[in-house]
Amino acid sequence: MTYEEAEKELTSIVERLERGDAGLDEALTLWERGEELYRFCAGRLEAAEGKIEELAKRVDAARPAG
Amino acid sequence: MKVEPVVYGDRKVFTVSAFNRGVADWLQRLPTLWVEGEVTELRRQAGWQTVFFVLKDPEGAACLSAAMPRGQFDALRLDLANGERVHVYGRPELWTQKGELRLRALSIERFGLGEHLAALERLKGKLAAEGLFAEGRKRPLPRLPRRIGLVTGNDAAAKRDVLTAIQSRFPPARVLVAETLVQGRRAAAAMVDALAAVAAEPEVDVVVLARGGGGFEDLLPFSDERLVRAVVECPVPVVTAVGHEQDTPLCDLAADVRASTPTAAGRLVVPDLAELIAGLARSREALARGTRRTLERHAARLGNAHERLRRAPALMLERRRARLEQTTGRLRALSPRATLDRGYAIVRREGLIVRSAGVVAAGDALAVEVADGSFGARVE
Repeated sequence: MTYEEAEKELTSIVERLERGDAGLDEALTLWERGEELYRFCAGRLEAAEGKIEELAKRVDAARPAG
Repeated sequence: MKVEPVVYGDRKVFTVSAFNRGVADWLQRLPTLWVEGEVTELRRQAGWQTVFFVLKDPEGAACLSAAMPRGQFDALRLDLANGERVHVYGRPELWTQKGELRLRALSIERFGLGEHLAALERLKGKLAAEGLFAEGRKRPLPRLPRRIGLVTGNDAAAKRDVLTAIQSRFPPARVLVAETLVQGRRAAAAMVDALAAVAAEPEVDVVVLARGGGGFEDLLPFSDERLVRAVVECPVPVVTAVGHEQDTPLCDLAADVRASTPTAAGRLVVPDLAELIAGLARSREALARGTRRTLERHAARLGNAHERLRRAPALMLERRRARLEQTTGRLRALSPRATLDRGYAIVRREGLIVRSAGVVAAGDALAVEVADGSFGARVE
């Protein structure tokens, strides 16, 4: 799942719950799923370690000679 | 002006300024002449007394710096643009501070449309006709790229600007930098390779192609057909930030998003971390609030149902009673009592109601019932 997908699903769950017309079991399931998505998104932001890498100059090296 | 060397034994040594002065003096003996070339890197600024430009051969890489006093340049009313071919009348001189040769222009005449611009226009038309610049081709940028590719020259400024913008806005960003040639004959092919290499790396979701400002000619590789096509064919969206805002190399037109500067490109490819975190927190609150509201609504509905259930037996009894009363009313309406009250009587003979004169004979005993009682009678 990408961050965008998770964020989009979370938003649609929030909208669904805000309408207040979900069934009881459905509401609880949605809430659990929403929390799960929140943790996923928050995790993505917290876990990521900023990193600058240089692409090895293997563009030329990888090319077969001749 | 006489140039005096310093003498060390048998060696005569000149200072740099003395050397430059000497060369400058010598250059002044050269004749004034016409030079044909394309104008590039035209720099005419209000604060400057001199207008600078570079003349180049349409084919080949030979360049010549040229300068003309601004007042003189403006008086020509040429409205020159980069890429135009001109004839310049002038004489060579040495810019003594830098030891650089340049052409002191005394006059400039326009000579045809610059071939580069014309060629660029043709290429632009051809690629546009293929639909390479169509809005419909542009892909949206990922909101949170897992990795960002950066293709740039070893030109420190552009690379630093992109990285600084990315890191200040979104510290956890992961960037993969591919340094490559961005200027000269081999630049276009090198950039095509670098772009493909970066885009092929795992998790790279977007690529930035950046280069700082440069002369018209320096930016030519960014209008190279191969690079334009590579940008279009790149498997992930490409953001370009090439030159200054007024420059529009063809790769800018092909890019999914064109940024005005490397800094702007950096800001475009990552979200604002603080905003993202705040947004997530808001979503979570809304999630809890929405769930609570739904539960409360269900609880209220349940309470309502319970209340109705509790009242149901009493209600049922009440209804039955009402129905009974209604039935009794109808029964009463059908009873003969009301008829007797109006003066009618019921006549019975031996307990049976007399409905016909033919069933009685003289001397029969009858019972007569009226509203308030009954009495006997005999038939005559």
